[in-house]
Amino acid sequence: MIRALCLAAVLLLALAAPAAAHNVTAGADLRLAQTIGGAEITLVIKGTPRVPGPLRIGVAAFDGAAFDGAAGLPVRLEVRSLTGGGTTTGVARAAAEPEYAELRVEETGPHELTVRAGGETSVVPFRVLVDRGSPGQFLIYGGLFAAGLLLVGGLLTGAVARRGPAMLLAAGAAAGVTVAAMVVVFEPFVPPGPPDGAAPSADTLLAGGRPYAQGRFGTAPAQPVAGQEFTLTLDLVDGATGRPVDDLVSHHEALAHLIVTSEDGRYFRHVHPLRTAPGRLEVRLRADRPGRYLAHAELEREDSGGQLLAGAFTVGGEPGDADGTAGAAGSPLLRPAVPVAGRPTTIEVAADSPVRPWLGMSGHLIVRSQDGSFLGHVHEMGAPGTRLRFTFSFPRAGRYLAWAQHATTDHIVTRPFAVDVAEAR
Amino acid sequence: MKRLIALAALILAAVALFAAGAALTSGPLDLTAAGVRYTTAVHLERPATGRTAVEVRVTSGDADTVAVSAAMPSMGHATPEVAAEEREPGHYVAEGELFTMTGVWDLSIRLSGPAGEETVTVKVLISEDP
Repeated sequence: MIRALCLAAVLLLALAAPAAAHNVTAGADLRLAQTIGGAEITLVIKGTPRVPGPLRIGVAAFDGAAFDGAAGLPVRLEVRSLTGGGTTTGVARAAAEPEYAELRVEETGPHELTVRAGGETSVVPFRVLVDRGSPGQFLIYGGLFAAGLLLVGGLLTGAVARRGPAMLLAAGAAAGVTVAAMVVVFEPFVPPGPPDGAAPSADTLLAGGRPYAQGRFGTAPAQPVAGQEFTLTLDLVDGATGRPVDDLVSHHEALAHLIVTSEDGRYFRHVHPLRTAPGRLEVRLRADRPGRYLAHAELEREDSGGQLLAGAFTVGGEPGDADGTAGAAGSPLLRPAVPVAGRPTTIEVAADSPVRPWLGMSGHLIVRSQDGSFLGHVHEMGAPGTRLRFTFSFPRAGRYLAWAQHATTDHIVTRPFAVDVAEAR
Repeated sequence: MKRLIALAALILAAVALFAAGAALTSGPLDLTAAGVRYTTAVHLERPATGRTAVEVRVTSGDADTVAVSAAMPSMGHATPEVAAEEREPGHYVAEGELFTMTGVWDLSIRLSGPAGEETVTVKVLISEDP
């Protein structure tokens, strides 16, 4: 019986937690990486404690055009309410330490942030939530306040030697203190109500996860030419309803992490495509050599786990001068020196200091099997000093291409290397 | 005196029960959805499974046709689109079996008119058929 009660209490508490889908609350910023206007930036939307109220949006720059000019890349922002329809605009400059533009929100609930920079536009849906005061706090402060008043009244009445009323007032004060104390003890067990502006949620436990998303990669123009800019598109469709998938949540600080590599691994890009319409992601790229390219998108739907979508495209034209290599080759320290399939391998890579957290982590390691059929994304595990340490179990023997990435003050460092994995004996 | 206190306690308990009951059963839903071209006020008198009516008032923009469809993202359910009838200028009603089970549904309202076509979506919580 006690176990059943405990389980019920745990379930209640678990269900009361609001879904983390692009919610902006005071104290919980929404961070979203975007590859826009030739720059790698992270939007930071700060929560507001009340509505109508200020909504502060900053743009943290990590790489590219944002550092070309002295003043920083101007990013035009527009916030539109999807319930009231009101809009406000502002301009934030991308900088290593974000400067905040102050916009306004008139109400809680669903909103859309339109971001324009360098001729590109992205539309980010989000929800403004404002915490409602808890009824428990009202009872605690109310009870104590009443107790204080009654106590003073009781003392005064007692002083003028009227015992009956003095006792009654003192009893009232005791009752007030009792209510406050009871609420202080029991409030943590009562689930808080949903914040103002939260999406409706069902009380029943749902089967875990939403249907899979089908991804279709495309390019505009249909045949990209080496050395010329093109747009890589990703159309997402719900596998069960055929509707566009428009419920992506921030997965490691981005709607999607898109890894584009040439088949031989000499070209590597880790970008964060822009949402241009429901179910559509786009990013501008340039490849320097003709050939076949692989695209892997890592994303997460609301109330679901992460998933990986893969595709390929070809680039035509003549080879350009640049080789498109992402950076100076890394010389990783492997333990064991010859990694064994299926067993954990520790990989240490030297980093340029100062290492700055990027996408919520100090380092990222992208691992691709040579044929492109496997892709892994590993996070740095807190090595001391200026080294990045990753632990990964290579699933099968063979050659893997790897890229270790981290951010410094004004750019993202990518160190490519290859790992030969031996068969387990 | 004691009777009075007992009576007051009973009334308080009744009010508390009523409030709790009202919070559990779902009442009519009123929502607004602002698109770029059209703004709508959506009313569901009975947000429940089974045959139900969705009232759409086009509060800004000039819409000729309005159609309503629903999908439940968590389960991967979708129901057929229901064309809405124009009862009065700017006031449309779509009647049909839009929600097949309880839970949170995306209610999509597709509007078209001289300004073009646009779909606005609201989230609705559907409860048991009373």
